[in-house]
Amino acid sequence: MAKCVVARDLTKSFENLPVLSGLNLEVDAGERLILLGASGAGKTTLLRIIAGLDYPASGHLKVAAQRIGFVFQEPRLIPWRTVRENLLFVNRQGEADRLLEQLQLKGFENYYPAQLSGGMKQRVNLARALIIKPALLLLDEAFSSLDPPVKMSILDDLIKQWQNNRFTIISVTHDLKEGLYMADRAVILDSSTGQIGHDIKIDIDGQRSIFSPHLLQLEAQVLQLMTQAAAI
Amino acid sequence: MKKPLRWLIGILVFIAIWQIASLLINKSIILPAPVQVFTELAWLLTDRLVWIAALETAWKVLLALILVLLAGVSSGLLLGLNEALRDSSRPIIMVIQAVPVISWLTLVLFTWGPGWEGPVFIAFLSLIPIAILTTVSGVQSLDLELLEMARLYQVDRLTIIKDIYLGSLLPFIIAIIDVTIGQAWKVILVAEYLAGNSGLGVMILSARYEVNSIKLYAVTLLAVILGITTERMLKSSMGRVSKRWLSAL
Repeated sequence: MAKCVVARDLTKSFENLPVLSGLNLEVDAGERLILLGASGAGKTTLLRIIAGLDYPASGHLKVAAQRIGFVFQEPRLIPWRTVRENLLFVNRQGEADRLLEQLQLKGFENYYPAQLSGGMKQRVNLARALIIKPALLLLDEAFSSLDPPVKMSILDDLIKQWQNNRFTIISVTHDLKEGLYMADRAVILDSSTGQIGHDIKIDIDGQRSIFSPHLLQLEAQVLQLMTQAAAI
Repeated sequence: MKKPLRWLIGILVFIAIWQIASLLINKSIILPAPVQVFTELAWLLTDRLVWIAALETAWKVLLALILVLLAGVSSGLLLGLNEALRDSSRPIIMVIQAVPVISWLTLVLFTWGPGWEGPVFIAFLSLIPIAILTTVSGVQSLDLELLEMARLYQVDRLTIIKDIYLGSLLPFIIAIIDVTIGQAWKVILVAEYLAGNSGLGVMILSARYEVNSIKLYAVTLLAVILGITTERMLKSSMGRVSKRWLSAL
């Protein structure tokens, strides 16, 4: 399987406080990975390094993706540009209208961000990341501030996009349900070592449901591992 | 009470105070009665040369404003983006601000003699620091997260300047126009008076030579009316732009 991201011995500190200490990670092309861990474990830092927004102090990183989409935690939309203009800002040749229709934003093309709800802004944030046809999509607690029904609806749309395009997804989240609902693999960062504490394969066939016993059982297991990693 | 009615009452109160003051002073060379000034103004308005003088002053104001905006916003953008350049140019801006207008005026007379260049140059120098410093403040208040987003998506520099920088700076550009338009009128009139060869400032100068205070008041009133009218016209059109901008926030 071709690798989309290969990180070797990554280190990063903030004001002498080590966050990543020799972290190793491989992500297959087309894989859906969630990064879990306690606050300050380095999840967002790792994501920003992969995106090229930050640099490691040492180590090697290879990202085999020319186009990287990033769904920020806050929408980061240009306030004086309409929804369509915000999408075309990152890709003038992009099929904005088709994408907006697929993400349930048809009819809102000419709205300004201030006229949209939080959920709709995040849909635009996602659409902007998708309009560049990314090989790698990074999500930084992208849906954490949304109501559960809105969040699930956007996740379903994201999964549809992934099924059609098979880009690689790396998502940082605190919401286990959200993560397990869409991921193939969960990685728990250990804040005490600055490395990966647990690497869990999520093997669920067919349509997923947040209420399925398998997912609930998995959620409990992962939660236990996360608690252990945070308690060390 | 409707706004225009309040305006009208304000104007009538002003004229009444003016009338009472002129009666109390009782020296038309110091303060002529409103009716004398309005009669003189009405007479002046029938003179084609007065209209030409008003237009001469108005286009100098407009030219000075355009030059201030073009030079001020572009150099403010440059200084806002480059800290070293900003620090090294600070003394130059301070010098421009501190040099007395009469020194510039003398220099202008030496260089060009009386003409339109002097008033425009003086207005430009008086107003350019406001434009530069306001734009620098605008650049410094830019949303860095938007810039990071643009960097991530490898958006070209020209699009970033057009869509993020100019968009963010629009309220600051409107503020520059708001502040400078009124001042531009005053500075141009003073500069015309001291170093010009045409315009309302020169008419005020001729009123001085003629010791004609009624004409002085009438020309001043005309200048005030024109100043307020152009200011309101410009502000109203800028208001439409800023309204669209503000509705986006």
